[in-house]
Amino acid sequence: MTQPVLDISNLSVDYQTPRGTVQALRHIHLQVPPAKVVGLVGESGCGKSTLISAVIRLMAENAHVAEGEIRFMGLDLQAMSAAELRGIRGRDISMVFQDPMTALNPVLTIGRQMKDIQYRDPLSGKKKRERAARMLERVGISDGLSRLDNYPHQFSGGMRQRITIAMALLVKPKLLIADEPTTALDATLEVQIIRLLKDLQTDFQCAILFISHHLNVIAELCDYVGVMYAGELVEKGTVRDIFHRPGHPYTRSLLECDPSVIEEPTRFLPTIPGDIPSLIDLPEGCIFQDRCEKVMSVCRKTQPPAVHLAEHHTAACHFLEE
Amino acid sequence: MEPLLEVDQLRVRFRTKGSVKALLEKDDDPFIDGVMGVSLTIYPGQTFGLVGESGSGKTTLARAVMGLVPVQSGAIRFNGKNLIGLNRGQIKPFRRDIALMFQDPAGSLSPRLKIRSILAEPFRIHNKLPDNLPDEIGRLLKMVNLSPAMGDLYPHQLSGGQARRVGVARALALSPKLIIADEPTAGLDVSVQGEILNLMARLQDELGVSFLIITHNLAVVRHVSDHTAIMYLGRFLEQGPTQTVFHHMQHPYTQALLSAHASPDPDAVHHRIAISGEIPSLFSRPKGCEFHTRCPRAKDVCRDRFPQAAEPIKAHQYFCHFPLSESLQ
Repeated sequence: MTQPVLDISNLSVDYQTPRGTVQALRHIHLQVPPAKVVGLVGESGCGKSTLISAVIRLMAENAHVAEGEIRFMGLDLQAMSAAELRGIRGRDISMVFQDPMTALNPVLTIGRQMKDIQYRDPLSGKKKRERAARMLERVGISDGLSRLDNYPHQFSGGMRQRITIAMALLVKPKLLIADEPTTALDATLEVQIIRLLKDLQTDFQCAILFISHHLNVIAELCDYVGVMYAGELVEKGTVRDIFHRPGHPYTRSLLECDPSVIEEPTRFLPTIPGDIPSLIDLPEGCIFQDRCEKVMSVCRKTQPPAVHLAEHHTAACHFLEE
Repeated sequence: MEPLLEVDQLRVRFRTKGSVKALLEKDDDPFIDGVMGVSLTIYPGQTFGLVGESGSGKTTLARAVMGLVPVQSGAIRFNGKNLIGLNRGQIKPFRRDIALMFQDPAGSLSPRLKIRSILAEPFRIHNKLPDNLPDEIGRLLKMVNLSPAMGDLYPHQLSGGQARRVGVARALALSPKLIIADEPTAGLDVSVQGEILNLMARLQDELGVSFLIITHNLAVVRHVSDHTAIMYLGRFLEQGPTQTVFHHMQHPYTQALLSAHASPDPDAVHHRIAISGEIPSLFSRPKGCEFHTRCPRAKDVCRDRFPQAAEPIKAHQYFCHFPLSESLQ
């Protein structure tokens, strides 16, 4: 098997707070293979953002990696010095953020920002501008060379997100991390951005770790999917495993809640009753027990093991069989 | 049945520069149109869904109905009485009957007030303090499935779904007849989204209130609303009974908007109606039909003049020179 671009094994992250230790991530195993798109889906507070910040090691001050390893191209990211990490971030790993307006500097032209991001390349300023202009056209912004002199506010929301994608790809990364890149956009633009990401991924052959709470977007873009709940990766598999043969009760309920899958119009929509458990005072046993329909006494006592359902498909539930 | 709210050819304009500057720059029309000739009718106990992309004028329309922005022309009749031209004192009684649920639930709750005080405000403002305020607030909280003890909390102690429910409780305080809900589920997780919509449906059954739901989530509108309107650059391009709009749409924009929604099936074959580009700026409103810059069916006549409603009397209305039921030559 080829070496994964990103290999997260047994990762746990804690936050120290005045009220106690928040166990935000617990024993996460996740691989991102080369040139594949891996989607991470989960609701607010499930730890998606903590996971990204741990990967690029830009964690909050009160956070620390309690155990586990994150390897990028075989290198242990935890063991690297700050300088070594800077050599990787922004060159081999780039990011696209949720809100393009705050990701771009409002007082500098797009051209200046796109030139600055190539600071490592030994090219002349003119060449860098030309590359930036070509990249703008590649992401669907026509007349790239003259648009380089515009400021971020002169672009619309969808165009700004195209610009941040162009910037992320200018450095030819091996891994692109996209954190809810379409959440702030309208449906017609969301489709355009997804299609663009798909095209670019085929062209540039980079691996993408795509974070979203929007199931439909994940289904359309990703090759592999991980489902997170309250700090645990409860299920992972190929996109077809997850959407056609979901194993974990949480994944199933999540798919059922989506109003776009309910054909017949109904006034009362399905929900998942209850709240996420406190991550300071974790319940014994399965993390999903309080909201699970199938809960039995064993769920309240022991943590379910990860059950292998298919080649890439695993889910952590007591009621699944290999 | 008598309509509860009737909006007729409503137009809202915003000035873009001062009169002196406009004169100096020889700009004889220093305005942008936020809402351009919109008509709609909401009946008691009905839910009206208003769908559109950002910048289409949905929120401006809602604010005009509330009397929060000045109206250029047209009529807004609530229970048969025209609200336009009323002064602050005259419009106040109507504000009791029309409540607004704001888009950002946490941001619309004062961070320094306890939930109890937030829910008491509508009563104070309208001088309608009930004899036993704590009981009334407990009743409101129970109505939205929150425990009365929550009255002692501050907004930051609530989850997103709970804050949204406090927003619903506040809107219900003065027993309104119409609730305008601006993006009631934006920013909520799917598992909680259903909770809020179910709560609204239950309240409608129990209290008979009407809803005007503003959203860009088509999947939600399809389930909850009786009547749906599709808004683009300040106009309703199509409106009608929800089932008709979803299954027999006539406007290419409606079709594009509906097909833009991804399906949660990785093997789904998408018959996407590609529309290029983005919604144009209000400062450079396209001539003719505003949608022609992105429309796959646009012809010369579309660039020239705005189409007339094909069947102005029927419930299903659309504005298109080449509706989908007619094949293109």
